[in-house]
Amino acid sequence: MSFSTFVTDKAGLQKFYEAILANNETYAPVEKFGKFDYKRVTNLSECDPASPIAKTLSMKPLFFPRSAKVMKYVATSSGTDVSEVDEDPLANKRVVLGVKHCDARSLQVLDKVYNWDYIDTDYQKRRMNTVIISTRCDKADTHCFCTSLDYDVENLDALDVRVVNGSGDKIFISARTAKGEEFLSEPVSGHMSRITDEVAGPEMKNQYAAFAGSFRLKMDYKEVNARLSKIFDTPEFENVSGNCVSCNTCAFVCPTCHCFKISDEKVKDTGVRYKSYDSCNNGYFTLMAGGHNPRPAKYRRWRQRAMHKFVYYKERFGENLCVGCGKCTISCPVNISIFEVVNQVSVSMQE
Amino acid sequence: MEKLLVPTICKVDKVIQETPDIRTYRLKFRDEGLMEQFTFLPGQFVEFSLLGSGECTFCIASSATRKGYFDCSIKKAGVVTADIHTNIEEGDEVGIRGPFGNWFPLDDIKGKNLLFVGGGIGLAPLRSLIQFCIDNRGDYKDFTILYGARTSADLCYKDEIKEWQDNKSLRVVLTIDKPEETWNDNVGVVPKILEEVVKPVIENTSVITCGPPIMIKYTIQSLLKLGFADKDIITTLEMKMQCGLGKCGRCNIGSTYVCKDGPVFTNEQLKSLPDEF
Repeated sequence: MSFSTFVTDKAGLQKFYEAILANNETYAPVEKFGKFDYKRVTNLSECDPASPIAKTLSMKPLFFPRSAKVMKYVATSSGTDVSEVDEDPLANKRVVLGVKHCDARSLQVLDKVYNWDYIDTDYQKRRMNTVIISTRCDKADTHCFCTSLDYDVENLDALDVRVVNGSGDKIFISARTAKGEEFLSEPVSGHMSRITDEVAGPEMKNQYAAFAGSFRLKMDYKEVNARLSKIFDTPEFENVSGNCVSCNTCAFVCPTCHCFKISDEKVKDTGVRYKSYDSCNNGYFTLMAGGHNPRPAKYRRWRQRAMHKFVYYKERFGENLCVGCGKCTISCPVNISIFEVVNQVSVSMQE
Repeated sequence: MEKLLVPTICKVDKVIQETPDIRTYRLKFRDEGLMEQFTFLPGQFVEFSLLGSGECTFCIASSATRKGYFDCSIKKAGVVTADIHTNIEEGDEVGIRGPFGNWFPLDDIKGKNLLFVGGGIGLAPLRSLIQFCIDNRGDYKDFTILYGARTSADLCYKDEIKEWQDNKSLRVVLTIDKPEETWNDNVGVVPKILEEVVKPVIENTSVITCGPPIMIKYTIQSLLKLGFADKDIITTLEMKMQCGLGKCGRCNIGSTYVCKDGPVFTNEQLKSLPDEF
């Protein structure tokens, strides 16, 4: 199917966002302490859909909450009553504004694990009910490498509606999926003019070319996939992970990391079970009762992290478990970069 | 996903003190209808919750051919298992999710000689298959159980082992690591007794083994030395698991999810995995 493209300007884009906010449950990047997190918003002034990529947290929590109640229970004299928690606050029909392309792509990657075998119906419902409005970046940040990975950033269909800055004051708004096409109907687009691909296409191409030319980091992911898949025992993993303080921040900010833990908390006779983020960098992650731990050393946990992202997930689900957003590197307190880790280990294998 | 993490309440029907640090909990779903529907195959596992303390992974130690209950044998090894030993008595309630994971290759072992090699608490997953095979005895040829523990006090399922010994269609070989005054049976580690006492028939035999990692390692070495093929050596892995659904990311060895693709593997399959278990 062919999708519509509209042309507008800054004021028109503002009006577009305002129309969305007026008629939809809307989430967008909201600034707090210099960082942007995706929150429910009712007024455009509360948020910034053009928030800088390096200061914006992933929207993953809108699909996979940082810590969610799974159930409650009460121990009574006659037995244990287990009750499911209230309705899913993330299951409503909703729109997310200001999503970065890499972050949108991460949902396509996560779909694979959530729709495998046991289907995560909560995730699926959140996903189905969400319209993603994404602005294509104009310039890569220091740690960005999305264009080096296994997805087509220019023609990404992980987002429903794409906003691209054209020359001068022009802004192009295009549907990228059937859901996006439906969304761009009269109420939100009535003030904008339709434009043909012949006219808009070259301008959007130029924008992409300038963006693609701005990357500091470049790699050949196929080469990295191939080299890493041939190695397991290499001292290089010790070299690259030496500074890691096992704080797990990289996993918590990563848009594709999906490991979690199940924990129970009980006060007197009432308890709650939580499902919360966890990380393979955590030394207790694979520790078994009795003391056996298949990944007792930090370099083994880093090997797991790197290999899961660039070998295991690829083998299992056909995608890299990395979208090249650089969030882990930006947030790392000891400046470890996943880009450098996989490249350094790969290169060491070449020599 | 969240709903899949909510357990179903089971009542502890019976607690059997197997050894000083192992107890078997015989469980029944509080909802009798659910108990009737509950079906599993030997080798599968459940997530067992002591609500408020946490959730642990245990294999089902009984066979679904014995109806109306299922057993989990639990060794006191960590925080939650210690809590279970201290706090769970007959009549108490626990949470159960499952069954999860794959099962022993029932089709492949049909019509073959069976050799079970177990050590310590490692007999628990084997017991599920042993009971299943005893209840379908006609489907198998020679049936040998080699079971060892550190001391005679550490042997699990003592009453049931007596039944197995009395069953003329089974050969049961027991061993303990060091001599004891009142012990008149074999003494020596499992691999040694396997080679010197059991002397198994190789042809048309499937070996199913489980025990402490070190025992499994040397048992597999012995089996290979005796001439068994990797594909005929079957074991079940212990890995840290939480969700049992192939999602939480703990149990993988390379791109293999032990909770989904396992926990039962042949030695042939294990050899193709990265050495990280």
